[in-house]
Amino acid sequence: MLWRALLSRLGISLVTLWVVSVLIFIGTNLLPGDVAQIILGQMATPESTAALRAKLGLDKPPYLQYVVWLQNVAMGDLGISKAGLGAGLGTPIVEILEPRIFNTLRLTGLVTVIVIPISLFLGLIAAMHPGTRLDRAVTFSTLSLISVPDFLVATMLVLIFAVFLGWFPAIVYLRGDETGWVLIKTLAMPILTLVIVASSQIIRMTRATVLNVMSSPYIEMAILKGVPRKRIILRHALFNAVGPIVNVIALNLAWLVGGVVVVEQIFSYPGLAKLMVEGVLMRDLPLVQACAMIFCVTYIVLIFIADMATILSNPRLRHPK
Amino acid sequence: MKEVKTFQQMYRDGHVSRREFLAAMGALGVTAATAGSLLTSASALAGTPTRGGSVIFASNLHGPDDTLDPLLGTSTIDYTRSNASRNGLIQIWDDMSLNAELAEEWSVNSNATEYTFKIRKGVTFHDGSELTAEDVVWSMERHLGEDSPSSIKSFFTNVTEWKAVDKYTVKLSLSSPDADMPYKLTQPQAKIVKANATDWLTAGSGPYLVDSFQAGVKSTHSRNPNYWRDTGQWLDGIEITAITDMNARLNALLAGSVDMITSISPKQIQKIEESGNNVLSVPAGLYGGICCLKNTAPGENDDLVQGLRYIQDRERIVRKFLKGHGTLGNDHPINVSYGADHCHELPQIPYDPEKAKYHLNKSGYSEAELFVAPVTGIIEDVCLLMQANLKKIGFNLKLKKVPSDGYWGAVWMKEPLNVVSWNMRPTANSMMGIQFGPNGNWNDTFWNSDRMGELLKDSLAETDAAKRHEMHCEMQKLVSTQSGIIIPYHTNVLDAHNPKVQGFSNVPLGQFGGNQWMEHIWKNA
Amino acid sequence: MSDTPTPQNTNSAIQFDELPDAPPKRKIKLSLLGKIGVVVLIFWAIVVAIGPMIAPYHEADILDEELFIVPGSDEMYPDTDFQPPSKIVLLGSDYLGRDTLSRILFGARTTIGISFIATTLAYLLGVLLGIAAAVGSKRLDMILSRLNDALLSIPSIMFALVMIAALGSTIPLLILLTGIIYATSVFRIARSLGQEVMVSDFVEAARVRGEGLWWIITREILPNIAMPLATDFGLRFVWVILFISALSFLGLGVQPPMSDWGSMVKENLPGLIYGSVAPIMPALAIATLTISVNMIVDDISAHTGGKLAKRMIA
Repeated sequence: MLWRALLSRLGISLVTLWVVSVLIFIGTNLLPGDVAQIILGQMATPESTAALRAKLGLDKPPYLQYVVWLQNVAMGDLGISKAGLGAGLGTPIVEILEPRIFNTLRLTGLVTVIVIPISLFLGLIAAMHPGTRLDRAVTFSTLSLISVPDFLVATMLVLIFAVFLGWFPAIVYLRGDETGWVLIKTLAMPILTLVIVASSQIIRMTRATVLNVMSSPYIEMAILKGVPRKRIILRHALFNAVGPIVNVIALNLAWLVGGVVVVEQIFSYPGLAKLMVEGVLMRDLPLVQACAMIFCVTYIVLIFIADMATILSNPRLRHPK
Repeated sequence: MKEVKTFQQMYRDGHVSRREFLAAMGALGVTAATAGSLLTSASALAGTPTRGGSVIFASNLHGPDDTLDPLLGTSTIDYTRSNASRNGLIQIWDDMSLNAELAEEWSVNSNATEYTFKIRKGVTFHDGSELTAEDVVWSMERHLGEDSPSSIKSFFTNVTEWKAVDKYTVKLSLSSPDADMPYKLTQPQAKIVKANATDWLTAGSGPYLVDSFQAGVKSTHSRNPNYWRDTGQWLDGIEITAITDMNARLNALLAGSVDMITSISPKQIQKIEESGNNVLSVPAGLYGGICCLKNTAPGENDDLVQGLRYIQDRERIVRKFLKGHGTLGNDHPINVSYGADHCHELPQIPYDPEKAKYHLNKSGYSEAELFVAPVTGIIEDVCLLMQANLKKIGFNLKLKKVPSDGYWGAVWMKEPLNVVSWNMRPTANSMMGIQFGPNGNWNDTFWNSDRMGELLKDSLAETDAAKRHEMHCEMQKLVSTQSGIIIPYHTNVLDAHNPKVQGFSNVPLGQFGGNQWMEHIWKNA
Repeated sequence: MSDTPTPQNTNSAIQFDELPDAPPKRKIKLSLLGKIGVVVLIFWAIVVAIGPMIAPYHEADILDEELFIVPGSDEMYPDTDFQPPSKIVLLGSDYLGRDTLSRILFGARTTIGISFIATTLAYLLGVLLGIAAAVGSKRLDMILSRLNDALLSIPSIMFALVMIAALGSTIPLLILLTGIIYATSVFRIARSLGQEVMVSDFVEAARVRGEGLWWIITREILPNIAMPLATDFGLRFVWVILFISALSFLGLGVQPPMSDWGSMVKENLPGLIYGSVAPIMPALAIATLTISVNMIVDDISAHTGGKLAKRMIA
C-alpha cells in the first residue's frame, strides 16, 4: 500500500517535471531580444546581430531547440552559457552553477537550522497557551513582520546593524575561505533577514495547525478522558500536526532556494535566484532554463518528501480504505 | 578638461589659493558643487604614495556575462578588469592627449590611410612569453569581418589589413582616411592579448595579474612583478566585484565593506561627504537625452521638438537632480569638457513654458508617448519633470516605462520618442561623427544633413584653430536646432571612495578617471 | 502510538462531520483587534473612493521650489526632495519633490485596486478550475492538477520576472499574472474542498434523487466551500499586495508617474539614510492594511475552528 502510494507520487512528480520543462521553454522563448543583441548592446548593427545569432544557433526553430535541450538535460548536460560565446568560448553552465548552488545551500542550511527550532518552539508555546499575553505577543509580532515588504525589513536591518552599529558587513563579500565565526558574521545580515521573514510564517502555521488539531473530536475525547493538556499537545496533537508543518517547512525551503531574489539583491549575495535574474537580463536562455529547472526540481522533491511525511504520520492516509 | 587638472596641480603646489581655484573653476563653467569635490581630490593629490595594501572595488553591474576577453567588454566592470590586466597600443591620459603604451611610437602617412606602429620591446605577457607584432595583429584582426563579435567593430570597418612587417613593426592600412584612428585604438575593447590565447587569465601584459575570476561574483588580482613600466603599482592586490542595488552599494561603502564604489547617485553625495568618505566628481561630456526620430511622426514636426526643448527645466535638473554635479545641456553633445571645440558662443536654451506652449500648439499635437528605460542615472526623473511641466501647459506626455535589458535592440532607434545615453568620446569629431555623421550606424534621431557631413570631414583636416572652432560652432548649432536630439544635461562622472585611497586622475572617459586607476592609486595604512 | 485514539469513522465521513451542510449563518463576533481591523479597512475603502479628490496635489506634480522658500530666507532654490512633514507637505516630500500624502491617497486606488482585482481573478480562475477538476473526469483532473503543480513549482517572482520581461509592464498584465500565480493555490483548496463535498453522503443522496451536476455544484458544493474560501481571500489579498511590492522593488511594478505603495517604498529608499519619512509612510500604509485584514481573518478563522489553517499552506 505504502509502496503504491510512493510510486504513484513519484509518477506524478515526473509528469509535473515534464510539464514544467515545457512551460519553462515556452516562457523563456517569449523574451524579446536575444543574447546576440544584448552582447552587442548599443553598438549593434543588423548585420552583426544576424551573424552572431547564426553562430549561437539562435536561428533554428524553437521546437527543435526544445528537443535538443530536453535530451541534453535528461543526460545531465545543462548546456553552455551564451555568455562569452561570441568569442567562441562560452562557459559550461554546470561550472557557473556549482558555486552558486553551494552558496544557496549554505545560506538555506544556516537559515533552516536556526528557523526550525525557533519557530516550532514559539509556535508550540503560543498554541499551548492560547489567548494569553504571550500568545498575543507572538501572534501580533509575527503578523506585523509578514505584513511589511521584505526589502524594507532588509534595508532597516542593514541601516541599524551595519551602517549605524557597524556590527556586521552591509553586503556579503565572500573571500571563499571563511569558516566558523567569520562565516557567520559575513552572512549575518541575510541570515537575520531570512530568519525573521521565514520564521514568522512557520510560527503562525505551527500555532494554527496545532490549535486546529486540538479542536478535532479525538483530542476532545482525550481531554474528556482527563489526559493532561501538555501531554495531549506533545504526544497527540503534535504528531498529527506533523504533516501540515512539514509541508510549510518544505514550502519555506523551496522559497529559500528560489524565491529570495530581493534579499540576494540587497546583500549582493551570489546565490541562484540572483543568477537567474542576471540570466534573464542577459537573455542567456540556457542559463535561465537551468536555474528554473533547479528551482522546480527542488520544489517537487521537497513536496514529495512532505507528502511522504504526511502519509507516514497519518494512520488514515497510511491505511486508506 | 586639461585646465582642471592644471589648476588642481597649481592648488596642490600652492600656486593658487582655494578662492582662486573656485573662481577659475567657475570661469570654466564648472558648478560650485563640482568645484568643491575637485578641491578635495586636489588635496588628495598632495599625499605621498605608499606601497602595500589592497582595495575592494564595487562596480554597478555584473553577471554571468562578465568577460576577460577585452573584445566582448560592455560594462564598467569589464573595462576595469581589462585595464588591470591588459595594455593597449595607445592610451589617453589626464589631459586627453594620446600617449604611447605598447606602441612605442606610431606614424601616419599624409592622407591618414596608413599607420605604422613600433611595438615596444621586452614586454612580457603574464605567462612569461614576449609581446611581438604577431600578437598585435592577431588581437586587432579579431575586430574585423562581419561575424566578429567585437562590440566596437564598427570603428574598424575601414580597415583593409593589419600586417606584421617584422617582429616589432605593425602596419595598418585603411580604405579611407581616418585621423581619429589612434583614438579608436584607446578603447578598452582594443587591448592587446597574446595571439591564439586560450587561457584568458594570463593573456595580458597589464600591471595586475588575474589570480581568480568568477563571472558575476568577483575577480582577484595581484601585482605583476614583471611589469614593463614603472607607474607605481602601489597596491599589493585588487578585488573587483559589483553591487547592483544602488542603496546596497552605498551602505557597503559606509560600513567599510568595500573601498571604492562606482556610479553613485547625486542624492547620495551629501551622506557620503558627511560620513568622511570622498566623492570623485569629474566633469564630463556624457549625457542622457531624448531622441525624437526625424523620419516619422511626431518627431518629424520641428515645432514639436522645439516645444520639447523649451520645456526642459535645465537649471533645476542640474541644481536639484544632479545636485550641481553636472553642466547644462544645450541640445548638442559637445559640452565644456571637450575643451576648445565647445562652442561657448551658442546661447543657452532657456526653460520657457510660454515658448514651449506656442510651438506645441503650432505643431498640432496635444499628446505624445515617450519610451523611458533607466539607461542612465537620472533620465527617468528628467522625463517625469518634463511630463509634469508639460501637464501645466496642457500637453499630455505619456511615459511608457520599459526595462533597460533589451532596450538598445528593441526600443532605441525604433520607437518615435525614446531616451538615450551616450558616453563621452575622446574628441568632438568622433562624438558628432558617430551620432550624426553620414556613415554613422547610430544616427539615433535619423537626421541627415549634407552640411553636417561636409563640416565633419573638413574640420578633421582643418589646422587653423579659429576656423576649426567656427566649424564646430556651426555643427553644434545645426544639431541643436535641426536634429531630433534633446540634451537637457551633461552629468559628471560620479564615484566615491574611502579617503585612504588616493591618487585618482580626472580622465572623464569612464568611472574613477577613465577606468584606469589601478597602477596609480595607493592606500594609506 | 498505542494510546492515539484511532478514529472509528471512515475518511469521508469525518470530513462530512466537520463540514456544515449549509452556509454558516451564525454571526461572527469580532475581538477588539478585529474591530480595529474593520475600522482601518473602512478607512482605506473610503480613501480608495475619494482619495484623489481630497489629495492636496496631483500624484505626478513635482512641487515648485518657490513653495518651499522659508520667509525671510535668501535661499532662492531650497531643496524640495525628502523634505520633512510641514504645512506644505503634510507627510513630507519624496525623492523628486512630490507630495507623499497625495501619492499615498492616489496610490491607494492603484495598490488596493490592482491587488483586489488580481485576487478576485485568482479566485474566479482557481475556483472554476478547481471545481471542474473535482467534479470532472479523472483525465481532466490529471491534466489540470499537473499543470497547476508545474506552475506552483516555479518561484512566483521568477515567473513574473520572465513574463514581464517578455510582455512588458502594463497594469492588465500585472493583474493577469498575479491572478494566475495565486489561482494555483486557490485551485488546490477549491479542488480538495470540492472533492470532499463530492464524496459526502448528502451529495450521494442528491445524485440518487437524480439531481444534475449543475444543481450539485451550485446548491451543494459552492455554498459549502464559500466560507473557508472567503476567509482565505483575505490572506491571499495580503500576499498579493506584498507580491506586487516585491515586483516594484525589482522595477517591474506600475508605470510612472502613477504611484503604488510598493514602488513608493522602493523609489524613496535612498532617503532612509537621511532619516526621511518618505519610504516609511507608504510602508505604514501597506502594514496597516495588511495587518488589519489579517486580524479580521484571524478572528473569523477562530470561529470556524481554524480548519482553514490546513488549507492555507499551499
